[in-house]
Amino acid sequence: MTARVELVGVRKIFNEGQPNAFRAIDGVDLSLPAGGVTVLAGPSGSGKTTLLTLIGCLARPTEGRVRLDGRDISGLPEPFLAALRRQTFGFVFQRFNLIRGLTVLENVMLPAYPLGTPHRALTRRAGALLQRLGVGHRAGAPVESLSGGEAQRTAIARALINDPTVLIADEPTANLDTALSLAFLEIVSGLRAEGRTLLLSSHDPLVREASVVDRVAELRDGRLVADRDTLAESAQ
Amino acid sequence: MMVQTPILALFMADLLGLLLLIPAGLFALQVLRHWDPSSGRAQQLRLEKRTHLVAAILGLVLLTQILALPLFVHTVDRMALQIVGAMCAVGTLNANFWGLPALLLRIGLFFLAAAWLLMHRMDKLAPDYPLIRAKYGLVLLILPLAAVTAGVQLAFFLQLDPDVITSCCGSLFSQGSESVAAHMAGLPALPTMFALYGTIGLALAAAGVYLRWRRALVPFGILATLSFPVAIAAIVAFLSLYVYEHPLHHCPFCLLQPDYGRIGYALYLPLFGATAIGLGLALSAAFARRQSLRDVLAAAAPPLVITAAAGLTLFAALAAWITSQSNLILIGY
Repeated sequence: MTARVELVGVRKIFNEGQPNAFRAIDGVDLSLPAGGVTVLAGPSGSGKTTLLTLIGCLARPTEGRVRLDGRDISGLPEPFLAALRRQTFGFVFQRFNLIRGLTVLENVMLPAYPLGTPHRALTRRAGALLQRLGVGHRAGAPVESLSGGEAQRTAIARALINDPTVLIADEPTANLDTALSLAFLEIVSGLRAEGRTLLLSSHDPLVREASVVDRVAELRDGRLVADRDTLAESAQ
Repeated sequence: MMVQTPILALFMADLLGLLLLIPAGLFALQVLRHWDPSSGRAQQLRLEKRTHLVAAILGLVLLTQILALPLFVHTVDRMALQIVGAMCAVGTLNANFWGLPALLLRIGLFFLAAAWLLMHRMDKLAPDYPLIRAKYGLVLLILPLAAVTAGVQLAFFLQLDPDVITSCCGSLFSQGSESVAAHMAGLPALPTMFALYGTIGLALAAAGVYLRWRRALVPFGILATLSFPVAIAAIVAFLSLYVYEHPLHHCPFCLLQPDYGRIGYALYLPLFGATAIGLGLALSAAFARRQSLRDVLAAAAPPLVITAAAGLTLFAALAAWITSQSNLILIGY
């Protein structure tokens, strides 16, 4: 279930070679231990989301390598990358990106369709995930009718439908009040206990200082400026 | 020059193909010089990203080059009606110096293009680009060949004059002539027959060994490739004689004429297909140093080997049927 993610000299430049070239990530070396919770912290524009997309294989670096359990994944041909993205990484987007016009259950089942899981088994699995995250009663509701917390739980269920080893969440508590943020951290704690590797980006102090977090890596202007092992600190 | 739609299509296919092959050739040089999968340098990542685009373009260009061969043959065959003295494609090809070289270059390009496409298919099935250097090395062979083919074919069509009297296939394949074709026509029937069935038999045996023990893929590919020149020699030396039931008519092109039931298509399609697959498999297997490619070949090669073996079997069976059904007695009279 666990997976170790490693970044070696990763750079990401948008519009490279153009006058408006922008260096979003500038030489990041980072190793995420398997089965822990890591938070990428930093101000807006520091490169947190870009780094998450590079780790989650949603984008390719301009330079450097991303490795999963020692295997280079940043250079994989697209069909292999798509399969890896589908089965290894679950992604919870900042704005959840739920598909309007579909129900909660249909949204959760969507990423599993390419894998060809029998429909009945898939429906059962999606329903169980929604129940576990406390939104089972909303399975048939259109996603437009969901509250912020319900939408987030639906997005988490969708990210978990293919049973990924790495769950990535971009600013998961940005639109939530304190109670909902704490509820989210409860979910994170449960996923961590299952042995999943979790990677969150956040500038919310509630998330950074949560006891469930093992490590906080701080970014500024695309560079890693601090890397705290919170677990070791609390042990001391 | 005789301006006709197929000639313009061939010309445009070559021109556009070259316009795309030249940058692909420059990219191939970069791959051969700088490809290093262990490096995370920006240049390596750029090569990794661009290879998908370049390979897609190359796939399209090379598919066009494969289709250009039947179009070329069909065009020169049809033009025989307009060239004084020509009876079939050979007459048209014989109308000037460039005809036969253009055909031979087209055939060479056909096989290299098909081999590249097969290698590319195998490369795409592995996650670590195991054939990337071999594939782009082959591009550097294909590029000059495509340029020379385009030039020679253009020279052929430009110098094609319907008022110049050409000679028919009878003179090209006349055993008194000094050409390669004439030498092939002069090959003794029985040894050529043994060579044909022997080569195809060995290729089929190698296919059997591969399918049973997953060994000898390279020898199978080489034997399947070798079957092509042997089969062409056999067609010229004896098979055509049996079809025409005439002891001096050696033309491999008249087989495409409706007078002979267009039996040439039934012979050439499986032969060209089997040879192309054999060449592609031989090259892919020869460069299979990484385990990923060996795994890909283990899964993808067996159906291809079966297809190529079926093509060779079909050719051999058809050749045997033609020989047995013909009223011509060539051996033992």
